[in-house]
Amino acid sequence: MSIRDKIPHIPEIHVESNLNLLLRRAKENRTVDIEEYETTGGYSALRKALNKFSPEDIVVLVEESTLRGRGGAGFPTGRKWRFALMNPPPRYLVCNADESEPGTFKDRIIIERDPHLLLEGMIIAGYALGAKEGYIYIRGEYPAGYLILENAINEAKERGYLGKNILGTDFSFDIKVYRGAGAYICGEETALLESLEGKRGHPRLRPPYPAQSGLYGKPTVVNNVETLSNIPIIITYEAYFMNIGPAGFYGPKLFPVSGKVEKPGVYEATMDITLRELIEMAGGVKGGKQVKAVFAGALGIYREDELDMPMDYSPKGFGGTGTTIVLDEDDCVIDALLVVTQFFHHESCGKCTPCRVGTYEQHQILKKLKEGKATKEEVNYLKHLSQNIPANSICGLGFSAPNAVSDALKKFSEEIEAHLKGECPVCFNRGD
Amino acid sequence: MKYKYLTEDIIQKIEECRGRFPLKEQCIIPALHHILDKHRDIVPEAVIELSDYLKVPVSHIEGIVTFYDMFRHRKNAKNHIRICRNLPCHLANFHSLLEKIKEKTGADVGRSSSDGLWYIELVECIGSCGIAPAFLVNDDLYDGSKIKTEEDLEKILSKYR
Ligand SMILES: Cc1cc2nc3c(=O)[nH]c(=O)nc-3n(C[C@H](O)[C@H](O)[C@H](O)COP(=O)(O)O)c2cc1C
Ligand code: SF4
Ligand code: FES
Repeated sequence: MSIRDKIPHIPEIHVESNLNLLLRRAKENRTVDIEEYETTGGYSALRKALNKFSPEDIVVLVEESTLRGRGGAGFPTGRKWRFALMNPPPRYLVCNADESEPGTFKDRIIIERDPHLLLEGMIIAGYALGAKEGYIYIRGEYPAGYLILENAINEAKERGYLGKNILGTDFSFDIKVYRGAGAYICGEETALLESLEGKRGHPRLRPPYPAQSGLYGKPTVVNNVETLSNIPIIITYEAYFMNIGPAGFYGPKLFPVSGKVEKPGVYEATMDITLRELIEMAGGVKGGKQVKAVFAGALGIYREDELDMPMDYSPKGFGGTGTTIVLDEDDCVIDALLVVTQFFHHESCGKCTPCRVGTYEQHQILKKLKEGKATKEEVNYLKHLSQNIPANSICGLGFSAPNAVSDALKKFSEEIEAHLKGECPVCFNRGD
Repeated sequence: MKYKYLTEDIIQKIEECRGRFPLKEQCIIPALHHILDKHRDIVPEAVIELSDYLKVPVSHIEGIVTFYDMFRHRKNAKNHIRICRNLPCHLANFHSLLEKIKEKTGADVGRSSSDGLWYIELVECIGSCGIAPAFLVNDDLYDGSKIKTEEDLEKILSKYR
């Protein structure tokens, strides 16, 4: 009996890849068990890591790989590990599986379909960091993923990949899964650590950084699911990893594409892909329509004429989680902003007043704007808030919450004008 | 103290949790999940029992119940339907799905149906935007775009009556 028979229902999510690295085994809607994982080369990277490399060798390989964190910020993984290694043990590894950013559904594919890939990456990372324990913090709304991970951990323990003296070496490592309970802010790494310690998920002030003082006050590396799943690939390919993708942004990347495309789903590609190509990979805009706007990476908004930028972490790239939400010519940007601002207001943890109140005020003004009742002064106030909220907040939610609003003010001024006059063809003809 | 909500099986799970995690506070969220699974709601008495059992102040547990969206005090129905309202699901017209579900169940957003079977909540992105509009019935996830007719919906809901 497969674990899938014992867990909650998960419908098929479309997945496509021509790289076959992260999604090598994850194309079908099923869970790869340890048997299949091993026969398709699984855990050979761990074996290689333990037999051939010292922890230091692995850190160097990860540094050289230029791997960037896939959780949103794009921070170089090797540098993060190096920073943690500067602090004395015990050290902890925490996998961020909170995945709650609107439009993001990539990590769940790895967790639900190829959980051992993540575990293998974590075990190698644990070895490199000299950690004895790793935690996976998974969002509460992924009950199936939780059970799949627990099951995979038991499978790995039975075969000696986890637990005491892994594969006969003197390296011991354990992984524990912890469920969240519905709070976007718990994806922010310091809020996650608070939550993991059994508290409300309020972000911590930095410094100290988690690499200095994280879980239980000890040096901690927090990495995204996709980041850690890249580790076995780096160990397997070594220098050949630098053949995958463009210089400086090597490695496979997952792109969750949703909204008005023919085939919403998760696409694996290298980071030289442009947003336009990615939309084409997803079958193009639904019904052959035009792109009105794309909400991508930390929910910035992009216009049709910006679609040729690459999906990498360079200053002009899209970066972020790879999230891509497509709006077509029949959608209204202000209407979409209304959804986004209510989300940030709802998810603000409330610790910083500018974030807690500012996101609400933005939402209220946009509501009036959508109804054609806002004034020019109020729109100016939106701009003021877009600068003020990030300037006076302590965490990434406050820093990025107004991104979409400030992008809209800059790039979609015609739409704003039309709403000020009560003339948006989308909103006012539809009558909502 | 005699426990009504912390039943034997839940206590056993809390003990398992205690064996795994070093801090007793780390058992609060797992325990609340177990209470929610079994009793559907986290009533104040259950919080007091948990506080007594773990020797953690009631205020700390209350702080958690009120912070995390999945936990709730309200008396809800047998089945909890969570419909996503975030951007990709908004673009996929979750409103129309909501109307269908409201009509079929007799429940409304934040209000249980009179037969006590259904409760509807609008939630933020549930990481399923590739199957928008997405919704959860208890722990089961569904692809709202596959629901074209009343029968499609009935086929799903009938599993939970
Ligand atoms: C509000 C907020 C939510 C976040 N949510 C997630 C998340 O769900 N998953 C994730 O991996 N990172 C999330 N992050 C980023 C984490 O704080 C952190 O940078 C990341 O886990 C580091 O992993 P990486 O270096 O592998 O990318 C979030 C950040 C913020 C500010
Ligand atoms: S910026 Fe917002 S979410 Fe972050 S700590 Fe402040 S109030 Fe909380
Ligand atoms: S927006 Fe609805 S599941 Fe992501």
